[in-house]
Amino acid sequence: MTAASRGGSAVSALLRNSRRACPRCARTTTHPSVPLGARRHYADAASIPTTSALIAASLESNLSSAPPPMQHPVTSTETTTTEESPSITAATRYKIKSGLILTRPPLLTREPTAFEAAFYLYQKRLNERLAVPFRREFYFRTDTAADLDWRLKLRERHGVPAKDIGRYNPRGRVAWNDEVLVGSETGMTGDIAESLLADAEVRISEDGEEIVDDERVPVERPMPRRTEADEKGDVRRLDRALDQTLYLVVKKGEGEAATWQFPAGDVPTQEVLHETAARVLVESAGVNMNTWIVGRVPVAHYVTEPVFAEGEDATTAPKRRGEKIFFLKGRIMAGQADLTGNKHGLTDYQWLTKDEIKRVLPWDYYRSVRNMMTGR
Amino acid sequence: MAGLRGVSQSARSLPLSQLSRPACPSYPACSRRSASTQATESPALHDLETDSTLGAPQLSPDEKRQFRPWKRAADRKGFGLPGSRYQFHPPKYSRGPLHPIQSPPSSDPVARDFVPGPFNMPRMRQTYQATIASDIMTLAYNHIPPGTPDREQPERLRDWDGTSEYHKNRPKRGPRGSPVLPLVEQNITFRNIPEITEITIASYAPQAVKDPEHLLVARTMLLAIAGTTPDITRTKSSVVQWGIIEGQRAGVKTTIYGNAAYEFLDRCIHLVFPRIKDWKGIRATTGDSSGNLAFGFAPEEVALFPEIEVNYDMYPSKMIPGCRVFVKTSATSDRQARLLLQTMGVPFYGEVRN
Repeated sequence: MTAASRGGSAVSALLRNSRRACPRCARTTTHPSVPLGARRHYADAASIPTTSALIAASLESNLSSAPPPMQHPVTSTETTTTEESPSITAATRYKIKSGLILTRPPLLTREPTAFEAAFYLYQKRLNERLAVPFRREFYFRTDTAADLDWRLKLRERHGVPAKDIGRYNPRGRVAWNDEVLVGSETGMTGDIAESLLADAEVRISEDGEEIVDDERVPVERPMPRRTEADEKGDVRRLDRALDQTLYLVVKKGEGEAATWQFPAGDVPTQEVLHETAARVLVESAGVNMNTWIVGRVPVAHYVTEPVFAEGEDATTAPKRRGEKIFFLKGRIMAGQADLTGNKHGLTDYQWLTKDEIKRVLPWDYYRSVRNMMTGR
Repeated sequence: MAGLRGVSQSARSLPLSQLSRPACPSYPACSRRSASTQATESPALHDLETDSTLGAPQLSPDEKRQFRPWKRAADRKGFGLPGSRYQFHPPKYSRGPLHPIQSPPSSDPVARDFVPGPFNMPRMRQTYQATIASDIMTLAYNHIPPGTPDREQPERLRDWDGTSEYHKNRPKRGPRGSPVLPLVEQNITFRNIPEITEITIASYAPQAVKDPEHLLVARTMLLAIAGTTPDITRTKSSVVQWGIIEGQRAGVKTTIYGNAAYEFLDRCIHLVFPRIKDWKGIRATTGDSSGNLAFGFAPEEVALFPEIEVNYDMYPSKMIPGCRVFVKTSATSDRQARLLLQTMGVPFYGEVRN
């Protein structure tokens, strides 16, 4: 959804004729989903494509369901393959991997801070002072049960129509004495919730009689913000920390050498990043989850350098290849992870918040992914 | 955190800045300067308290009982200034910039045009910040390789060609093809994620020309739905077939901004839309090409708003009009605005043209 995708159809024809192939793609067979007419060609003497020429179809494909045509935006440094021998290229030095950062977004709003609660109460009281008076006759027909109910509750609130600002009188001789005292619960979330729930009770029956205290039916309280999982600290459950985002981390290996990471796997040549990420998720955590991968582009990446044998340098093949892991973002709506029979040697999983994940992931790994994590 | 009121006495005696800084031994020690630490270092500011009033120590029940400002004031005899003469009232009219009495800014609670500020953080705004904004940025991301030269932007307001002497300093020519210069779609980046800016609700009631009570009902309806007092609009032209003459009061409109807009949209999506019978969604062709979308409510659908439903009998029968809702966003094209509304839960139906 960019500026450059407009008029894309006009330049996509231009693009098809002046496509360049990176060394790896030039060596592989044609992708089965790419129609024969649009098969990749070797580089010709075309100039470096501009922004508009590159973007045309890949942009639309990010949002549409059709697989993207294989396009490889290239820079001038990667055009020719004759300088380096095929065995020692970037492709052999690094492995491309695709990972998935599966998140459960926050299900509850966050609690306001003490300052916010005090500020909101102050503004609500100012509103009470300035707003037009409440017209009872417009909302309730006189002497109906609803009207009597309202009048009873208004009396209990000492004549204040608003339900969540405590006892506040903006007019009169004592109007200046409106400061909330230190230690008071007025304006705090618990107090507001209790006043609203108390107001929701039916106090006058249909006959117009006040309901006796024993027969009053209390309104059903909402569920507590801290669930059982919070109290127990069960990090495998998804109903923990409902006001924060939870991230899925898995433990690879056993004992001392075990590390926590996001599920990741090698990207084979016939797959693209988001396809690999989906496959890796199913292979690692099972199919018992309703998930959605956000778009097709990665949101974070982590690079491990290749390890060369002693005395060798970058011109030889490395002893251990480096890794470039590109993480995509996913959302889980329902279900739970299940590691039984997983193909990646994973032994455990946890759903952790942003602060908890900081202590569990390796420092440089966390540093690479922390910027994709939102405030909550 | 909800506040320090529940925290123990000993913990509360610590300055707040110490309590809130998390211990992170695994990180390299970076000594960060902040305003609060700077304040305590400077000798002139040693009087400043670093902790907040909200964390002040609890008073004993005796101290609480003895604190009765109203009684202290009532017992004060013989004193007392005449109230209104010593109260500051902001001037009703501005006498010019050189007058000694100037109006306070609108943010001051004593100002005549003060509007009470936010009463809460709307849940839709919180969801937007926590989930929707980053998802939109990821969905609409497009990779431009570094070093790609920028596309040449053609000049849209063209200069005169200089063939005549009078071209000098002449204002530029209008856009090619149309008198209107349309908005150019901007990329969605981390600094430019579409969000809701304001919502205008308008209701046209031409029956008010013959019966002014229709206007009153429309006004009351909009006041209930939006929470702001609506303005009255006038007809723009005379059409004999419809029985209207230019300049007659025949409609109402109101605009809500910020938090109120988010809450109104939240109510529409979660309370009103689900109750509409056989509702298909919002038409996908809606939009003004500049990121603003619109939809309408029929009179039966307006009655589904909880604010109207609660005292529906109070409205004269069959006088509640429908209304049009214009959702204005900071998006720069229709499709960006549609994506934003879809992430908020609005379905669209019909063929998408742009």
